Amino acid sequence: MKKALVSALLILTAIPLLLAVGQLPPHGSAKSPAYEHVSAYYLEYGAEEAGAENIVTDVILNYRGFDTNGEVTVIFTALAAVMGVLLLGRESRHPVEQPTYPPSIVVRFIVRLLAPFIAMFAIYVILNGHVSPGGGFQGGTILGALAIALTLVLGENEARRLIPEGARPWLQAAAPLTFVGIGLAGLTDVGVYLGFPTVETLTWVRTMWLLMLEIGIGLGGAVIISSIFWTMEGER
Amino acid sequence: MINALWNNLDYAASIVLFLIGLYAVIAKDNLIKKFMGLNIMETAIFAFIVALGVVDGGDAPIMGEGARAPFTNPIPQALILTGIVVAVSTTALALSLVIRIHKQCGTIEADELRELE
Amino acid sequence: MSQVFDIVLLLLLITCAVAVIRSKDLLAAAIIFSAYSLIMCIIWQLRGAPDVAMTEAAVGAGVTTVLFLVTISRTVRREK
Repeated sequence: MKKALVSALLILTAIPLLLAVGQLPPHGSAKSPAYEHVSAYYLEYGAEEAGAENIVTDVILNYRGFDTNGEVTVIFTALAAVMGVLLLGRESRHPVEQPTYPPSIVVRFIVRLLAPFIAMFAIYVILNGHVSPGGGFQGGTILGALAIALTLVLGENEARRLIPEGARPWLQAAAPLTFVGIGLAGLTDVGVYLGFPTVETLTWVRTMWLLMLEIGIGLGGAVIISSIFWTMEGER
Repeated sequence: MINALWNNLDYAASIVLFLIGLYAVIAKDNLIKKFMGLNIMETAIFAFIVALGVVDGGDAPIMGEGARAPFTNPIPQALILTGIVVAVSTTALALSLVIRIHKQCGTIEADELRELE
Repeated sequence: MSQVFDIVLLLLLITCAVAVIRSKDLLAAAIIFSAYSLIMCIIWQLRGAPDVAMTEAAVGAGVTTVLFLVTISRTVRREK
């Protein structure tokens, strides 16, 4: 009864929404209002003014850098909240020696063989984010997924040694700290928080600035994703 | 109207996906199924916003040697990158809350949770 | 020809979404959700948005599916 009522209401909601969507400017036209004004400026002047050939990296790290500052703070807060929900009130950690159902020997061999290549590809994606599709967060997620795969194969105690215990809180906070640090450096250099040095001829200085931000986001994202997995998986 | 929708097929598909996700959030009882519906709603909205910036025959917005005009609009893509990160953060927190609820109350069905107190 | 491909991909997307909702086995729903994320990534790559496609592939198949599987292993497997 409830499901029939909900379905009927949703079909009734769909009709005015589909009517509204049909009246938007046609899909794929180059004259839509979203395309004319600001995007034309970014596409034309973005490459020299902001130091990256990938305009999307340009936009998220230079023109709209404050949004990315908020995004890395959000994912760091999510890690803090996950640890707060799951770790408070837990008794001592149960040490897990080996995985409860160890995968077959083929899986173990292939994962251990491929791990260095996956790490190399992830570092390539991070460092090449300004000339090809990719960027900081994509490479960081690939490194985090590699840590998860190694946890499934090697057991949690071995895999946790990938990230040393003393440095772990600093690495988890690497992304917001990098952003704030570079923002303050821009404040002393240019006079605006998160401002890039605007010397006309030295584009490579801006590219180096972008690369520091990307490495910070990449490392921070990798450690945060692995930490979320280890916190959720340690429950028995 | 059918002709107008045929031109804007991407937008119509994302509206349909959004309503499918909304049905799952309202009408299903299991908490994990509700969060899957929430994720489907989020990706439907991402598809809608990226589709607003697509140009016919457009290239990826990367300058270099082989780049030809016209380019796809880069601003919606930048918005959606931040949006995907926020979506994964909310999913992680929501699923850890589900684990905690199961450990504390023994069930994750919404109607049983309502009668529990 | 490419328009037929577009329509087939969109229909497959809607089918995967309906299958995620209707399946009672939560493990099957999580795997079909990973396939849904992959089809969305392919659609974005075809539309000329490679950055978004790479992020959705890494996050959707790598992180969200793994988190769902960890939750299912710590709670229930079937929906009532």
